[in-house]
Amino acid sequence: MTTEPTNITLRLFGPLVTALGRKEIGLAWAEGTVREALLSFVEEHGASARSFLFDSHGDLWKSLIVLVNDEPVGDLQTTPVRAGDTISILLPLAGGSEASIATVGRF
Amino acid sequence: MGALTEEQIERYSRHILLPEVGGAGQRALLKAKVLLIGAGGLGSPVGLYLAAAGVGKLGVVDSDNVELSNLQRQVLHSTADLGRPKCLSAKETMEALNPDVEVVPHHVRLTAQNALHIISDYDVVADGSDNFATRFLVNDACVMAAKALSHAGILRFEGQLTTILPGRGPCYRCLYPEPPPPGMVPSCQEVGILGATAGVVGLLQATEVLKLILGIGEPLAGRLLLFNALEMTFKEVRIARDPGCPVCGDRPLITSLVDYEEACALRAGDAVSREVVP
Repeated sequence: MTTEPTNITLRLFGPLVTALGRKEIGLAWAEGTVREALLSFVEEHGASARSFLFDSHGDLWKSLIVLVNDEPVGDLQTTPVRAGDTISILLPLAGGSEASIATVGRF
Repeated sequence: MGALTEEQIERYSRHILLPEVGGAGQRALLKAKVLLIGAGGLGSPVGLYLAAAGVGKLGVVDSDNVELSNLQRQVLHSTADLGRPKCLSAKETMEALNPDVEVVPHHVRLTAQNALHIISDYDVVADGSDNFATRFLVNDACVMAAKALSHAGILRFEGQLTTILPGRGPCYRCLYPEPPPPGMVPSCQEVGILGATAGVVGLLQATEVLKLILGIGEPLAGRLLLFNALEMTFKEVRIARDPGCPVCGDRPLITSLVDYEEACALRAGDAVSREVVP
């Protein structure tokens, strides 16, 4: 595997586009796992980006779906990301919500 | 239900002409019972097209009244309905469209106490609710009651759609184990929705419900369909059942419905900052 930095693409959907300002973000990348790529992204883009992807324990929010090249990722810590890969991040949509999301219980 | 009347044969002739539907399929539609969760942006197109198709019984759960800001997309209601309960406005519109259809209004908010009772009267559920508490409740109730569920969500110019067949594929919790944290997903009220986006996604839901009743085609089970109106693209993502899912997994932790709007266990400091990244 090459160790020369190459680009991977982070593709965002729904409210993440609005929140993070762009639909697609390029990331210089040599090699590593999906989790490492996402951590690298939030290091570049600050605390707000971090809070959208990771909870206060450093775990990816369970309400997010992560895909690599359109395939769901089972384990962020072991799934590799290679040059030219696209990581997509999805999150659920409701409708014309007026209810506070904070009122939903966790399990 | 017996043979179709002459009037029904004429009304549903374009269905009956389809070999995949025919007279038997139309009779199945007239016998079918579908529950709409919400008579809003999604529930409106779903309800109109299911009523036109001759789905015999349509339940509508909605506790809201019609507001002026609804009318840009909620086509079950008109200006004359302002201030009226949506489920009653929906009933009048759908029954006027097709007198073969019985619409049952449920002017309540779906809760852990009433969800299973209401859902038990129907064959298929179409969720067009406006909040995550209801969406998780509907999913859990449908899994427990083994009812097919068409799920859809919309925001701005985007939509998501999947079909949940309990015992035969992933449920909403397999897809999204937990609701998003506060601040992550804004509401349509905050960031808007192109009315026609609700129409497109709602009609995809209606199509799925009709296919389920007729037993034709491939349901959108195990697949999440993403619609982007600005790009005019559809993208499909495969989703798998999670054996560890708390509601449909091999050892479910959730075996009875709970009050989803109470006792939020979100950890302190876990809200998402809405500050836009430069």
